[in-house]
Amino acid sequence: MSREAKIIAFCCNWCSYAAADLAGISRLQYPGSIRIIRVMCSGMVHPEMVIHALDKGADGVMIIGCHLGECHYIRGNEMALARAEVIADTLEDLGYESERFRIAWVSSAEPERLAEAFREMSARLASLRETDASPSGIGE
Amino acid sequence: MLPRLSFECLHGCSGCEMALLDCGEQLLGLFDRVEIVHFPLLMDHKYQNPLSGASDGEGEIILPEAEIGLVSGGVANTEQLQVARAMRAQCRTLISLGTCATHGGIPALRNQWTSEATLQTVFAYGSPEKALLPGEVPALLDRVYSVDEQVAVDVALPGCPPRPEMMLEVIEALLRRESPDLAHKSVCETCPVIRQGKGQGTMRRFLANADYDPEEPVDQMRCLLEQGLLCMGPVTAGGCGGRETPLCIRARVPCRGCYGPVRPGGNQLLDMMNGLASNGIDYRSLVDRKSLLRFSGGHGLLKPARNRKESN
Repeated sequence: MSREAKIIAFCCNWCSYAAADLAGISRLQYPGSIRIIRVMCSGMVHPEMVIHALDKGADGVMIIGCHLGECHYIRGNEMALARAEVIADTLEDLGYESERFRIAWVSSAEPERLAEAFREMSARLASLRETDASPSGIGE
Repeated sequence: MLPRLSFECLHGCSGCEMALLDCGEQLLGLFDRVEIVHFPLLMDHKYQNPLSGASDGEGEIILPEAEIGLVSGGVANTEQLQVARAMRAQCRTLISLGTCATHGGIPALRNQWTSEATLQTVFAYGSPEKALLPGEVPALLDRVYSVDEQVAVDVALPGCPPRPEMMLEVIEALLRRESPDLAHKSVCETCPVIRQGKGQGTMRRFLANADYDPEEPVDQMRCLLEQGLLCMGPVTAGGCGGRETPLCIRARVPCRGCYGPVRPGGNQLLDMMNGLASNGIDYRSLVDRKSLLRFSGGHGLLKPARNRKESN
C-alpha cells in the first residue's frame, strides 16, 4: 500500500512537456512516481509502447498532447486520440483494466492542468489497487 | 558420421510433421544425408526412461543427442516441459517448428481462461464432480507457453503449418553451417492485389465472398482489407507462399494470421487495431477482436479477464 502507483507519461515536446517544465519552475506539486518520457508528438506513441510499459510493471500510462486543433504537426494529436480509443478497448482484451490508460490535452501554458491530470491519474490507480481483484474464470 | 536430426511434437496437432512429409522427393534427398535419431510420430522409439514407467511418475526423460532438433507444438503440461528441456539439452541447434512452438498457436487460445476454468469446462462442465478428469495425466501448467518461453531456441520457424520448402531450406542451411534466411516482412510484401489506399469505413464479417472475378488472376483483385474484410496480412509475418502470392490470398480468402506477428514480440491484435484506427476504419465494427490473437496467444499476450470492480 505504501508504494505509489508508477505512471509513465508520454508528453509531447511542444505542449505538455513544456507544461511539465513550467510546472517544475512554478513548483507545482504532483506525485513523484510519475516518469515523464518526452516524445516529439503524442501521435507517435504506438499502442505497443503503452502495452510494453504496462508489461514491464508500470501501473498506469498517460499520453499527453496539445489541445485538439493545436497540434504542432497539424493532426498528430487526432491520430493519438484515434489510437487512444483503441488502446482503452484493447487493454481489457489483453488483461489490463482500461483505467490504467488515459489521454489528456494540456497546452504549454497550463501547468496546473497537467499537475491536476497527474494527481487524478495517481488517485485513480490507487483506488484501482484497493479493489485489486484476482483473475476470474469463465461464466462469472 | 551423418548429422543427426531429432524431432519432437508437444502441444500441437502434428500438422507440421505432415507438412514436412509433404515435401515429397526432396525429403528423400535430405534423408540420405542425415540420420533421424528420434521422431516419435514416424518411428517407434521409446523414451529411455518414460514417465509412465517411472515409479514416482516424475522420471527423467532422456533423448538421444542430435545436431539439429525440431520441436513443434507449445508447452502446456509438465511432461511437455520435461521433453522440451530434454530436447534443449541434447540438441546443438534447436528449431521451434510451427506457430504453436513459436507463438503458442491455436492451443494458446485457452490462455484466455485459467487452467482450472479450462478443466472445469472440458471435464466437468455444469457438474460439481471432478471425477471425469483422468488421474494419470501430467498436470497442466498455468497456461500454454511457446517453446522459446521455456527453453532457448536458436531458430524460430513459424507457420501453421510452415511452408514445406522453407522447412527443408532451413535444415539444408543448417547442414551447410549457414544461418537460415527467414522472412522478415509482412504477408502484404508478396501480395499482388490492387491497393488504392482507400478502404471502407467499417469491417464486415467474412460471411459473403470477397468481390472478384474468378476468371481473372489474383493481381486483378482489390485488396481484401480495402474491401472491408479483416485481412491480417499487414500484421502477419510473410513467407507462406514463398516469393509468390500468399496462400490464403490465392484462395481469395483474407489472411488469418497463422505465421504470427511480423516482429518477434509483436502483438497482432494491437497492431491490427492500431492499423485500423490510424486509417480511420471503425475498429468497433469488428466482431470478437480478441480472436486476432488466435495464433499468437503465447508470450503472455492472452490473459484471463480480471474481475472488474463494481461500477456504481
